[in-house]
Amino acid sequence: MTIDRAKPLLLPLTVLAAFEAWARAAHLQSDSLAPPSAIMAALIGALADYSIPIATRDTLFSAFAGLAVGSLIGLALGIAFGISDVLNRLMEVTVEAIRPIPSIALLPIALIALGFGYRMEIVIVAFACIWPMLILSGAAVRGIEPRLMEVSRALRLPPAQRVLKIIIPAALPRIFVAFRLSAGIALIVAVTVEIAINPIGLGAGIMLAQQALRPDLMLAYLVWIGLIGYGLNVLLILAQRRLFGRAALG
Amino acid sequence: MNRTIILWRLASFAVAAGFIALWQLIANLKLVSPVFLPGPDRAWAALVHGFSSGDLCSKLIGTLEHMAYGWLAASIAGVAIGAMIGSSRLMRTYVAPSLEFLRPLPVSAIIPVAIAMLGLTQGMALFVIAFGAIWPIMLATIHGFAAVEPRLYEITRSLQMSRLAVIFKIALPSASPDIIAGMRLSLTVALILSVVCEILAGLDGLGHWVLLSARSFRSADLFAGVILLGVMGYATSLAMAVAENRLLKWQRVGH
Amino acid sequence: MAIALKRQEAPVSGLATPQIEFIDATLMLGGKTIIENLNLGVRPGEFLCIVGASGCGKTTALRLAAGLYQPSRGAVMFNGQPMLQPRRDIAIVFQDYGKALLPWRTAAGNVSLALEAVRMSAAQRPARIDELLRKVGLPGHAGKYPTEMSGGMQQRLQIARCLAQEPKALLMDEPFGALDAMTRQGLQDEVLSLTAASNATVIFVTHDLDEAIYLGDRIIGLLPHPGRIGIELSVNLPRPRDQLATREHPEFLRLRRQLFDFIKATEA
Repeated sequence: MTIDRAKPLLLPLTVLAAFEAWARAAHLQSDSLAPPSAIMAALIGALADYSIPIATRDTLFSAFAGLAVGSLIGLALGIAFGISDVLNRLMEVTVEAIRPIPSIALLPIALIALGFGYRMEIVIVAFACIWPMLILSGAAVRGIEPRLMEVSRALRLPPAQRVLKIIIPAALPRIFVAFRLSAGIALIVAVTVEIAINPIGLGAGIMLAQQALRPDLMLAYLVWIGLIGYGLNVLLILAQRRLFGRAALG
Repeated sequence: MNRTIILWRLASFAVAAGFIALWQLIANLKLVSPVFLPGPDRAWAALVHGFSSGDLCSKLIGTLEHMAYGWLAASIAGVAIGAMIGSSRLMRTYVAPSLEFLRPLPVSAIIPVAIAMLGLTQGMALFVIAFGAIWPIMLATIHGFAAVEPRLYEITRSLQMSRLAVIFKIALPSASPDIIAGMRLSLTVALILSVVCEILAGLDGLGHWVLLSARSFRSADLFAGVILLGVMGYATSLAMAVAENRLLKWQRVGH
Repeated sequence: MAIALKRQEAPVSGLATPQIEFIDATLMLGGKTIIENLNLGVRPGEFLCIVGASGCGKTTALRLAAGLYQPSRGAVMFNGQPMLQPRRDIAIVFQDYGKALLPWRTAAGNVSLALEAVRMSAAQRPARIDELLRKVGLPGHAGKYPTEMSGGMQQRLQIARCLAQEPKALLMDEPFGALDAMTRQGLQDEVLSLTAASNATVIFVTHDLDEAIYLGDRIIGLLPHPGRIGIELSVNLPRPRDQLATREHPEFLRLRRQLFDFIKATEA
């Protein structure tokens, strides 16, 4: 079975090794490419002098803060729309009108309103995270076994208790999947805002490296961003498995 | 169409109009500085003015072009590569896992690399948009091809169909729901990356327009641009939905 | 060449070459022997039924005859030539018709697939499609999608597509197992008339003993683990068969008893 596990690694390792060999043989001098060994060295250096850890802290702070705000708003609205069909239908046009606006288009508005820094990034991330949470948790609530809803009505639970004790627990697995999706979006939007304009975080770091004509550092940031994205995803999948079991959902 | 549906739609529009009225009220009462929040009246005026002077029109077309070229390139390459990988068990074992690994990576991080290679040019934008848009399509195609009903492959062996015939007559149609879903996602990605590239590289388009408006504190123009981007997102999404409806008619019929 | 115990005798007509022939065919899958030393010859135009308890290898034998599997030992021959891959003139009707039809093509499109494969020109296809759909009792359904059709109709559509291949041999794997009794009887008679008209060889796998006797010229019963021939019966019932008269025939009842005892014995 270990051979099966190793197979997926074969291609990337071969590519990296080949690239390394070619870069050395050709004495690569380029603004955009660097041999894997140089990338590794730059990565270790940037970790050691705390530039990458600080940038990671900044990016993750903005991403998580935005995720928290956005997903809470999205969740609240989603549950409300899921419970009340009337509300859902009335709000349809408004939601469908605002949702397609690319979060990045709000960047200039946030910029003039809040200036550079954490706040504008958090606002944009929050905006981006509202929609997937809203739509998917709405669907999750609507997908709750009707029998459970009848039980809650028969027990004559007050609305707040109905939401807390029956609706949220029943819809929780799918809500968590929506949260996982939003978390990925939060990271992507945060990095994108930083690359576009915000002078903090990993996005700014990679842009600075490119402008300083240091391809090794630039690619080191790229690798690190990829690792963070992958790590975040894995962590959330593990959390999902712990909380809801393997068979729960995709 | 159903009468109740039409009534609900109208009510929904009324609610949306209500929000716009609320917006206007906030702007009139100057609860938020007009420098940041223009009223809908000013935003609309800027929209009309922008189109009549031709400015907004050319910016709109600029963004549309960036989106369209990048998305088309991504679609063709994504389906071709995805078909190749998805139909070969060898490739699926060795190549597909690496691609899945790359899936959660923020594609915008490729922008500095693209700038390093191609400078702040249209070519860079096209590369970035195509690169970002290719992932949803390629991954969806691989999945669709891998999920073709094996019974159908047995029938193709019995009919002794050529490899090409199998791909075009069996695999592609079978995978088309997945592929089209991927193409929808790619369209969203293409729009976002177009805007980002325009902001970064100063290329002609709505992204550049909104940035300039922000820098000169022309908030009405800024909002007009943002609204237009929202309309673009909505319109392209709608177009895809219509196309999907027609192409995948067979999925919906029957009991 | 050694003649195994259950080989059929040479027919009276003198044309001794079987169309489909298993010669000491053995198939091992995943370490298990599914079929062992199968020796069987099927005459051209013969209607052969294969019965047996679940897991005795009937479907596997059919797939060997179709060329979808290659024997681990021995050979499967078609007209004297070893079958190394499936042939266009051998058509297979699968039990799971839902999976064997293209959901994105209409009924006409599904039949057309086979016609495209045999390289019929586009101009000739519509007429042939209409003819085939009429033959299987689906006239006027050409524009329907498979999901819009009932189970029986879908199975007929699959048969139509197989007939479009102009098959010399028709291999059917429990084709009516998922259908209700009335639909099944109707389709049984249709298969009989269609194959009589085209004189195609038929190998019909079923777990329904009555169906096997009703349809076949000859019945093979397989023993499980590993699959091998346990019983061979000639069906001397008059043709054309009739759902009521044939099933009341004393010969029918006698064969029924024999087969029933055989299956009981194998399940014990």
